[in-house]
Amino acid sequence: MNIVGLDSLVFGVDDVAACCQYLTDYGLLPKNVCAEGGEFEALDGTSIVIRHRDDASLPAPLATGSMIRKTIHGCADQATVDAIAEELGRDRTVLRLADGAIESVDDMGFAIGFQVSVRKPLDLPAEAINAPGAAPGRPANVIGADESIEIIPRSLSHIVYFVPDSKKAEKFYIERLGFRVADRFTNLGPFLRPAGTLDHHTIFLVNTPPEMQGVEHFTFHLGGPTELLLAGKRFQDKGYESFWGPGRHIYGSNWFWYFNSPMGVHVEFDADMDLHDDSWTPREIDASADASQIFNFTLVNKWMPGGDPH
Amino acid sequence: MASEPQGLPFLCWQQQIEEGKSLGFDPEHRGRDSLFIVRRHGKLFAWRNACPHKGYEGAPMAWRKDAYLNQAGTHVMCSGHGALFDPETGVGLPGPCSGRVLEAITITVTPDGQVLLGADQTKEI
Repeated sequence: MNIVGLDSLVFGVDDVAACCQYLTDYGLLPKNVCAEGGEFEALDGTSIVIRHRDDASLPAPLATGSMIRKTIHGCADQATVDAIAEELGRDRTVLRLADGAIESVDDMGFAIGFQVSVRKPLDLPAEAINAPGAAPGRPANVIGADESIEIIPRSLSHIVYFVPDSKKAEKFYIERLGFRVADRFTNLGPFLRPAGTLDHHTIFLVNTPPEMQGVEHFTFHLGGPTELLLAGKRFQDKGYESFWGPGRHIYGSNWFWYFNSPMGVHVEFDADMDLHDDSWTPREIDASADASQIFNFTLVNKWMPGGDPH
Repeated sequence: MASEPQGLPFLCWQQQIEEGKSLGFDPEHRGRDSLFIVRRHGKLFAWRNACPHKGYEGAPMAWRKDAYLNQAGTHVMCSGHGALFDPETGVGLPGPCSGRVLEAITITVTPDGQVLLGADQTKEI
């Protein structure tokens, strides 16, 4: 199944205005924002959709009260969407929507959708660095530390589900939708990569008691670690509550910085994730603080050793 | 009759916390609020800013400075994973923190309306 990545996550929330402000301050581009909700887009068109939890157009909520209402996967073409509809239609209801997209549920009860991907090709440079021995990343007189840069998330990266049965959930995504395991935390669950991308993962499954079913976090890719640190710093300066980071993960190598959110999930800034193809042999280890990150800093206010000695 | 409590850290004036609202406090100056107070049905309730979510024990609960409640102001909401708590008893509703309880913080409200951290030891039992 040629699934290329996440296109959109739909939330049915308690406080629409708070969520709309939050996602705008996170850096996404607000579209069609009104009292009923809005869409918040990254540069490639992937998005978070906010609606009120009582919006009758949304798929049913989980019994746990989680505000996630639908995960929409982007596909390479309509033939892939149709193939998924046929595959899932063997044992569950598949709704065909007017625009050719389909909607169903996974084996954990999460509403899932599939559509021809909205992802627009991006042609943007990555963060450029200079290092002895390598050709200059930036030409002479181009500065690297520019506090004024505009930072807009580039692309919806991944979602992390709390699931009551990670083995069953993994089997569904692998056997029915063609995902592959990138790596695995043996005490939590697998990082899963669909067939149409090299990104380390678009889904990570965490096994939890049933009453916790929901979403741990979602995140968008930024242009590099400096963008991530500056975006997180700006977000924290606006009063948002940092949960974990900034730091860099081991599995996936992505830089991370997690914040609390009014959607009742953590929201991450992410940059520089590993790419893998089918020649990759998945690693596995028990998750722990040491296994999860090569380093983790917590931001403190700006400070300079020595101050002004004059 | 109780005399003025001595030496308890001042947090705020009680009228600063409106019905259905919350305020966070950092009395130890650690750079992050360690407790919050919510007013519900006219009374003040103080809780440690530490979610009891299994595997996340101690995680901060607000999504923004002082934002500890749901939109209606009827429940404490942990914005890590959406767990809801009764603001008067601290007991978790069905969901991520079902049956788990927030840690209560003792506060004293003086006759002139100061909210202080800790118990008024001068008060007769």
